[in-house]
Amino acid sequence: MPTSRDTERHRSTTMDEIEELEPLFDYSRVQPVNPITIDDDFYDDDDVIFLDGKKRKTTQTVEDDKKTNGKGVSVVNIEDQDDDWLPPPPMSASNSQRSIDDDSTLKKLRLKKQELASFAESAKQLLKDVEESSKFEVNDSLQSSVDGVDEKSLQHSERPKIVISVQDKDGTKQIRMFMDDKFERIVKTYADKIKCDQKQIVLSFDGDKISSSETPASLGMEDDDIIEVHVKSR
Amino acid sequence: MSGIARGRLAEERKSWRKNHPHGFVAKPETLPDGTVNLMVWHCTIPGKTGTDWEGGYFPLTMHFSEDYPSKPPKCKFPQGFFHPNVYPSGTVCLSILNEDSGWRPAITVKQILVGIQDLLDQPNPADPAQTEGYHLFIQDATEYKRRVRQQAKQYPPLV
Repeated sequence: MPTSRDTERHRSTTMDEIEELEPLFDYSRVQPVNPITIDDDFYDDDDVIFLDGKKRKTTQTVEDDKKTNGKGVSVVNIEDQDDDWLPPPPMSASNSQRSIDDDSTLKKLRLKKQELASFAESAKQLLKDVEESSKFEVNDSLQSSVDGVDEKSLQHSERPKIVISVQDKDGTKQIRMFMDDKFERIVKTYADKIKCDQKQIVLSFDGDKISSSETPASLGMEDDDIIEVHVKSR
Repeated sequence: MSGIARGRLAEERKSWRKNHPHGFVAKPETLPDGTVNLMVWHCTIPGKTGTDWEGGYFPLTMHFSEDYPSKPPKCKFPQGFFHPNVYPSGTVCLSILNEDSGWRPAITVKQILVGIQDLLDQPNPADPAQTEGYHLFIQDATEYKRRVRQQAKQYPPLV
C-alpha cells in the first residue's frame, strides 16, 4: 500500500513539473522528429509505468513533439519566407488583441451571470417573503377564528350575528355585531371616536330613534341594514 | 297587475334599507294590525345644509298606484306646506313626477326624494302651485326667507 501511494505522489509531482516545463522550450523547432525511436520509447515507458520522473518527462515531451508536428509544418513555412526565428509580430499582436476581446466578452458574460444570479436570488427572496406572509395570514386568520369560536362557545353558543352599516354625515361603515348586542356599544364607540358625550349621539333606524337598550333583533334588522348616526350640537 | 307594482316596491324598500342618503327616511306604512302597506310610504326629507331649509325634516307621503312604475307616485307634504311648487293640498308639482313630462319607470324612490330636496331651495317660478309662496318668492325675498326658516323650525328632527 505505501509503495503505491508513493508512486502516485511521484506521478502527480512529475505531471506538475511537466506542465510547468512544457512552454519553456518547443522541441519541434529545434529537433527533427524521429517517429520510430519515440514510439519505442513511449511503449517501453508504458510497460514500465512511471519508475522515475526523468523518464516520464522525456516521453511526455516526445508526445508533445508528435502533437505539434502538424502545426510545425506551417511554422516552418513562415520561417522559410522571413528567415526569422520569432513568430511575426502581427500574429502576436492579433493574439493579444484576441485575448483582450476574449477578456471583454468574458467580463460581459461574468457580469451577465452575476446579474442573472442576483435576479434569481431576488426572485427566491420574493417567493420566500410571499410564502412567509401567507403563512402569517393563515396563522392570523386561524388564530382569530379560533379566538372567535372560543369566545362564542364560552359565552353564548349559537349567537346569531349581523352586519349593519352605520352612516354618518361623512360616509358609511360596516359593523359586525351580535343580534342581541345592545346599541349602546355603538354609541360608546362612536362617542369615543369623535370625543363627545354619549348623550350627544343619537342613532336612528328608518327614521325612528334607537334607544340604547335596543338590539338589532328587537328592531327586526337584517344584514346590511343601515342605521344613521346623528350628532347633536350643544 | 298589482304584482308588478308590489314587486318593484319591495325591491325599492330592500335597496333603501341597505343604502340611502343621510337624514332621509322612506318606509311603507304599517297598519294598526301590524301588516305593511307597500302602496303608501312615509318619508322624511331633510333640508339641505347651507340653505334656509337646513334643520328642517319635512314629512312627505308617497302614494303609489297599481300602475306604478308606469305611472309616478303622488307625493304630498302636509296641507298648507309653504313652497311655490306645492299645491295647497300639499301635492308636489315637479316635472319628474309628471306622467306626461319627466317621469320614467326607472326613476327610483331615492331619486324622487333627492329631486324634491333639490326643489325645496330651487323653486320653479315658471310652474307655480300656490299663490302665497309664489308671490312672496317673486315679490318679497326677505319675507319669503323668513317664512322658509320659520317652517324649517316647525319640522325639527324626530330623533
